[in-house]
Amino acid sequence: MSIIIISSDSTEKGEEIAHKTAQALDYACLGRELLPVVADQYGIPTDKLEWALEASPPSWGRSAGLQRRCLAYIQTTTLGELVKDNRVCHGLAAHLYVVGISHALRVRILADPAEQAREISKRGSVPLEKARRLMDRQRKLRQRWSLTHYQLNETDPSQYDLVISLSQINTDEAIKIIVQTAGYRRFAPMTYSLRCMEDAELACRVRAGLLETFPNVKVRAEGGTVIVETKGTRQNKLKKAAAIKEQVQNMEGVDYVEVHVKNGLFKKAP
Amino acid sequence: MAIITISRGSYSKGKEAAEKVAARLGYECISREVLLDASERFDIPEVRLIRAIHDAPSILDRFSHGKPAFMAYIRCALLRRAQKDNVVYHGLAGHLLLKGIPHVLKVRIIANLEDRVKSEMSREKISEEEARSLILRDDQERRKWTRSLYGLDPWDSALYDLVLHIHKLTMDDSVAFICEAAKLKQFQATPEARQKIDDLVTACEVKAALANETVDVSVTCEFGNVLIYTKSGERMQHKLQEMARKMAQEINGIHHIEVHSGVPAPAHAI
Repeated sequence: MSIIIISSDSTEKGEEIAHKTAQALDYACLGRELLPVVADQYGIPTDKLEWALEASPPSWGRSAGLQRRCLAYIQTTTLGELVKDNRVCHGLAAHLYVVGISHALRVRILADPAEQAREISKRGSVPLEKARRLMDRQRKLRQRWSLTHYQLNETDPSQYDLVISLSQINTDEAIKIIVQTAGYRRFAPMTYSLRCMEDAELACRVRAGLLETFPNVKVRAEGGTVIVETKGTRQNKLKKAAAIKEQVQNMEGVDYVEVHVKNGLFKKAP
Repeated sequence: MAIITISRGSYSKGKEAAEKVAARLGYECISREVLLDASERFDIPEVRLIRAIHDAPSILDRFSHGKPAFMAYIRCALLRRAQKDNVVYHGLAGHLLLKGIPHVLKVRIIANLEDRVKSEMSREKISEEEARSLILRDDQERRKWTRSLYGLDPWDSALYDLVLHIHKLTMDDSVAFICEAAKLKQFQATPEARQKIDDLVTACEVKAALANETVDVSVTCEFGNVLIYTKSGERMQHKLQEMARKMAQEINGIHHIEVHSGVPAPAHAI
């Protein structure tokens, strides 16, 4: 009875381990198959969602906003699924936003670099040396991507409970270790951790609903109370707060809304 | 029948984990013993060896033979211990000093900075600020040391088979994991792996014997056939050949020894 989040430097290995772990525990497995659901829900093409999960973060402009919005939509749908518990999640960057939830086991799988380089070299018909350079570039891109969008470095081992390298340990052994860890009492859901998860889902859902109109909002949720923070000029402060309140108070699960509009020269949230 | 190295930051509870793993598996737990062995065998004060393995090389170190020579002595002493099998080493740089041995289980234990600060405060009776600064300085020193000597980052999870985060995972969970992993087939000593250690010990003995003369040598050993690679000129080559002849009689396990000048050393040479 827990959530297992698997992050990997190899999509194939991460997917394989997530599916087999879900099978072993009789949990549901969430992966990129969830993207068409997100696309339907928010009217954004699936390829744009995939682009948001993988592309290098643009520093400014419309595409930066679009990437932020796509990620918020993916995050909302994923959290909506994870609230149901007994899920294994991979490929949706959940390790970066399911933080501080005690019943979530976060695992990082590292593929054998030599094997990975051989595969890239074979697939792209490039020399091994170039394959290694490509791997290094991809690692740096992932670091930049995670730092830009979630202010966390996804290659930092302290973000995980467990890091398993597949250089010596094989896939089946890794699955055995994950299944064993998930069984520990520390990863059993408790009332408080379940409430934290529900709060995270609600905050994320509210933020996703506001992003198109108010691109720079910060949202927190505690129970049914939602606290929205944004920036605005002195003139439009009241108008903005009322508009946000009106939009949020009708959302499912929201009992009370608090909006804080701080004075800001560029009307952006901190 | 395995060799386990446990890498850790200061106050990350790695020592405790190593001692518990060794007690549970009935293995020998070593750390400072390696330095004592090296100190006794090569007649170097222990304090100088500690400095060599702990402090990052200074600018002056780059122009002297000191540090590489001391590292050769320490590696030689550790390999001699590893030759006996069934050891848990929790001293510095075990995963790098035992590189090339296939059945070494490389584990890194990490802990949250806040927990480490608390441990340091209670042990050293110092303020939080002092404790934090000491730990961060120590971490920085370790990173600098590994980068300058091996060109690697000790925080890179890819260097280890398992990275265990002592936070949600308890000490007992971690110990259980390490013990389970140590029983896996790939971490058992095979005749080939034993031969590999024997060859590494011989290569290390040769390197240690040459370390005082020049740092510009790399050594390989396969089934007792030792090759010494040097970039130095003819004069040094003659000197090395002379020394090699002596070593062939003094060091056990050498069947044949050759000096190669002007030939690039293979990547696995030490």
